[in-house]
Amino acid sequence: MRFNCPCCGERGAEEFVYHGDAAATRPDANSPTAMADFIAYTYERTNAAGVHRELWYHAAGCHLWLVVARNVMNHQIISVARARDVALAQTAQATCGAQSNGGT
Amino acid sequence: MPFQRHRMPVGGLIDRSRKIRFAFDGVNYAGYAGDTLASALLANGVKLTGRSFKYHRPRGIMSAGSEEPNALVELRTGAYREANTKATTIEIFEGLKASSQNRWPSLAFDVMAINSLLSPVFVAGFYYKTFMWPAALWEKLYEPLIRRAAGLGRASAQSDPDTYEKATAFCDVLVIGGGPAGLSAALQAGRSGARVLLADENATLGGRAIDDGADIDGLPAAQWVSSAITELASLKNVRVFKRTTVFGAYDGGTFGAVERVSDHLAKAPTGQPRQRLWHVVAKQSIVAAGATERPIVFANNDRPGVMLAGAVRTYINRYGVRPGQRAVVFANNDYAASTVASLNKAGVDVVALVDSRETPSEGVRAILNARGTRLISSAVISSVSGKLRVKGVTVRTADGRTETLACDLVAMSGGWTPNIQLTTHLGGKPVWLDAIGSFVPGKLPPGMSAAGAASGAMGLRDALESGLASGSAAARAAGFTPAASVVPRVENDSSAFAPLWRVDGGRGKAFVDMQNDVAVGDIELANREGFRSVEHLKRYTTLGMATDQGRTANVNALAIMAGLTGKPIPETGMTMARPPYTPVAIGAFAGHHRGKAFKATRRPPSYAWSKEQGAVFVETGLWLRPGFFPRAGETDWLQTVTREVNTVRNAVGVCDVSTLGKIDVQGRDAAAFLDKLYMNGMKSLAIGRARYGCMLREDGMLMDDGTVARLGENHYVVTTTTANAVKVSQHMELCQQWLWPELDVQMISATEQWAQYAVAGPKSRGLLQRVADPAFDISDAAFPYMQSGVISVLGGIKARLFRLSFSGERAYEIAVPARFGDALIRRLMEAGKDLGVCAYGTEALGVMRIEKGHISGPELNGTTTPHDVGLSGMVSTKKDFIGRVLGGRPGLIDPDRPALVGLRPVDRTERLRSGAHFLGRHASATAGNDEGHMTSVAYSPSLGHWIGLGLLKRGPQRTGEIVRAYDPVRSGDTLVEVVAPCFIDTAGERLRG
Amino acid sequence: MADQALAAQSAFSELKPVQSAALSIEVRDGLTIASIAAGKGKAADVRAVMQKAFGIDLPDRPLRVEGGGISVIWHGPDQWLAIAPRGAGDRDLESELAALLDGIAAVTDQSDGRAVVRLSGSCVRDVLAKGVPVDLHASAFASNGVAITHASHIGIVLWQIDETPTFEIALFRSFADSFAHWLAHASVEFTAG
Ligand SMILES: [Zn+2]
Repeated sequence: MRFNCPCCGERGAEEFVYHGDAAATRPDANSPTAMADFIAYTYERTNAAGVHRELWYHAAGCHLWLVVARNVMNHQIISVARARDVALAQTAQATCGAQSNGGT
Repeated sequence: MPFQRHRMPVGGLIDRSRKIRFAFDGVNYAGYAGDTLASALLANGVKLTGRSFKYHRPRGIMSAGSEEPNALVELRTGAYREANTKATTIEIFEGLKASSQNRWPSLAFDVMAINSLLSPVFVAGFYYKTFMWPAALWEKLYEPLIRRAAGLGRASAQSDPDTYEKATAFCDVLVIGGGPAGLSAALQAGRSGARVLLADENATLGGRAIDDGADIDGLPAAQWVSSAITELASLKNVRVFKRTTVFGAYDGGTFGAVERVSDHLAKAPTGQPRQRLWHVVAKQSIVAAGATERPIVFANNDRPGVMLAGAVRTYINRYGVRPGQRAVVFANNDYAASTVASLNKAGVDVVALVDSRETPSEGVRAILNARGTRLISSAVISSVSGKLRVKGVTVRTADGRTETLACDLVAMSGGWTPNIQLTTHLGGKPVWLDAIGSFVPGKLPPGMSAAGAASGAMGLRDALESGLASGSAAARAAGFTPAASVVPRVENDSSAFAPLWRVDGGRGKAFVDMQNDVAVGDIELANREGFRSVEHLKRYTTLGMATDQGRTANVNALAIMAGLTGKPIPETGMTMARPPYTPVAIGAFAGHHRGKAFKATRRPPSYAWSKEQGAVFVETGLWLRPGFFPRAGETDWLQTVTREVNTVRNAVGVCDVSTLGKIDVQGRDAAAFLDKLYMNGMKSLAIGRARYGCMLREDGMLMDDGTVARLGENHYVVTTTTANAVKVSQHMELCQQWLWPELDVQMISATEQWAQYAVAGPKSRGLLQRVADPAFDISDAAFPYMQSGVISVLGGIKARLFRLSFSGERAYEIAVPARFGDALIRRLMEAGKDLGVCAYGTEALGVMRIEKGHISGPELNGTTTPHDVGLSGMVSTKKDFIGRVLGGRPGLIDPDRPALVGLRPVDRTERLRSGAHFLGRHASATAGNDEGHMTSVAYSPSLGHWIGLGLLKRGPQRTGEIVRAYDPVRSGDTLVEVVAPCFIDTAGERLRG
Repeated sequence: MADQALAAQSAFSELKPVQSAALSIEVRDGLTIASIAAGKGKAADVRAVMQKAFGIDLPDRPLRVEGGGISVIWHGPDQWLAIAPRGAGDRDLESELAALLDGIAAVTDQSDGRAVVRLSGSCVRDVLAKGVPVDLHASAFASNGVAITHASHIGIVLWQIDETPTFEIALFRSFADSFAHWLAHASVEFTAG
């Protein structure tokens, strides 16, 4: 496999380390359902055939964490984005959503 | 020396002015430069080259390429000996020595040929049936028996003396195969300016354009090939790799290829490897790997002298060799025309063309008529006579009449199978094409196309045309603009074909897979026993396995099974392949990485000095750390380690701890960030102070421990264990970039920047005062336990000083820029002579930490919680941190869990062993009674007996109890007393001075 | 100044220098190196300071720039390595840059953490191809290009200096001798005989 690192350009899979599911968001530790939430976050995966959003680390390159959309059926890489950007966009969206909820 | 009596006076690509001497089975022969071992043997009239796998049947040369199932030899001698080498792919060199395999005492008289008589024992599935019971006899009886009876060449038992290397190549267009299609594709893409890499497994390019002796543009094809080679060489953007097999297609346009740099030479030239493994990264790829001819399945079709018709053409046209004197051609297709033409050219007497079809096409009949050659149509060869070589054939016509023809060569053709292997490596399913009776590539991986015979375009014109078209398309897809292509003037030969999958009724075995000795009868048996799918068939009969991967066998086998089950061939199965296309030496995959270079080695700053001292090194991850420093007169390691521990406890010792991970953490949110990572608080750490800290995984287990020192308001330096440095830094990056990207934190590894030495023992401050610059006050008042600071040493070298202790003694860690690490250790040893200083290694470090009950790798084993190792008091309840929530799961705080204790033998003279399991004093040794295990042990010089740390169920509540430390692996069963996990200075007075 | 007796030790104890038109290999000791990581939201400020102090535009892609007596290598998003000869004046980029970038960037001394080697000559790309899995062909790699990658599984930062071509490679100090061993193996076909 080859990944198109947003920083370094195209590199072989041997430069990257797989971490896990990028779909899960770390829950709020102070929520009353924190225990169940963390169990789901840490262990529960559907492992569906098809496209997964995964966290990969460019270990032998720029040391960036990446969110990779990859089809686990054929190893096709659909997209590669900086994890930082994805996380910040998700936070912004959540905040924005909360505000609009608050408004109604 | 026998004369090359089967060599034609002219023709072929061999160089008759360069005679090459070689030996086969101890007999000396000569061939010419450009010969393969097979062509040179045939030129010398040698037809018998080996014995078969199971039945030890005599075998000869069947093909002229890497598909060869029979002519496998041991090449070279001694440590260089390589088994199962195909005579058809070995280029001869001066002094080459090869020998036949699988025969005893000689090739012509082989005792094991008796296996033929035992053939019922060796039928499909014989491993499973015959040797099922009793299983205990497998190792002692069955396997050695089978190995002696069946099997092929002998591997050299010596280490491989050759060198190998690995390299990466990038290109816009990778062309696999340098036959007419591949050459056209490479030319067309190369002319557009694209970076082209053309790889061909043979020593010369041209493929079947040369083998078949065709004309292109009105001239012999060899001339067209040679001008194509000249043009490719003139293009700077084209690289041509001869003797290079692309053996695998992988994801993302990557390929594996092996270049046989020196295999054709007696000895690798200075500086050159034997082979080079290429990792090719290609934007586009064109599979122009040609096709493999299929044998016809008839009785005794494996006799030496029965050859593929295309190979007969190759030996004549490429090597100028007559593979026989009197030939019978047996075909189900129109390629027979060019076979007969080639035989005529070579002056071989063509006895007859036996054609299974009613009417071969006009072209075939014209060639036959030209010389009055006999055509026997609607006929088959039902069997072959002769054992060590073909003596004649029995021909049977449709009406059942038989006739015997004398001959010494059978040129057979059952049609052609496109070499689609690379198109299926990524799971692309091929599709069946009735017109050629074979599979052609189906859906191809992104960026891949197929051209020429590999794509099912069987004629020469089709090959050239499809090559040009693929070359253009690939160049365009890679962003180049190809010029219009001109197809050379050439006509397709007729490729008309009618299937003939098996000939029944002959006397003798009809082989489908010659290398594995799988005959038609084995496939019938597999069918009767229900192993009908292609995958079952393969595993039950071993068909399609081994060095040729069944390239001449698979389609015939599938078609025969389809005939038995009455299902269409595509429904019966497909010929999917996995890498490698041809065998690749393990050495090529290893490349430079063998022996000491298997992995990189990291050397700490004190390495050179430690080596001078005679240190014994231990591997810690990639690091090579001094384990201990033996001195003259010390007879074993324990004596040395005891001396090192005593020196630290009574005077002062120095240990290189540079290998600990050091991560520089800066930023306005550095404190908040570290608070999320460590289970204990870091915000409250004062500037200039250091603190022990532990990180957990999100599941609540301990991940790593180390110290955190605060150098400034927004500046920390954290240490990790040597083993976990990379893992922790990766984890911290994840936290910074993914979990808390809103925080202002910057991190970088500073592990290698600093040479860091632990200076430990009651006299450690005294020693440090001798190297620290006088401007810095390191008195206990100014520099108490857990203090950190920036100082300078030895007249102005910047340094960091930390007052930390792993040994339990007063101790410091002093860090200087790594280039001064060597100088500093020499200075410390010099300056501390009168204090009795010694260097100590990881062994003494380990002993002292066990004496103090400090946890390390064996306790930080990925299954322990802070509670398990007695650190629950450190866990903050005031903040969220990674691992907090799940660490609170009932199972993880269960008081029944094994927890850290100290252990000492009841009989103080007994030795303890780590890994021993704890059992109640009177409990029997069953898994159900298991109460934990001993994690670390050491002989304590301070106490004079063995001590241990362990994880024991409800351990801390069991102080004073006596349990069994049971170690069945080393026959150990010791009574041990449970004590607190700290054996000396329990009040911690020493480290404060 | 440090005690004269206290000799600095090269990271490379086993590297054999090579000198020919096809290939030359030379150890680059005596460098001062500092990493720069811009604080959150401070990258523009860092760029402005570096422009003013050295007249250089910090690269935002894998490139190398040179000016004002230093060269700067891209080292990740908003991160750089600044490099200069330590020289007779014992220049120390960490303290120099930390003062300039105080409050807007983290500056860390890497002078000793990295060992640097310079490779030059017509065969350099062929040597590097035996361990570096990055396309260094002139059509694919800028003449001032930078790559953070690995050589024979040893992490490296590689940058191109000129079109000879000349490359420099920085690696973690402790790997220096393993790297030298690989390099000797990879270059033997161009140095043998
Ligand atoms: Zn990257």
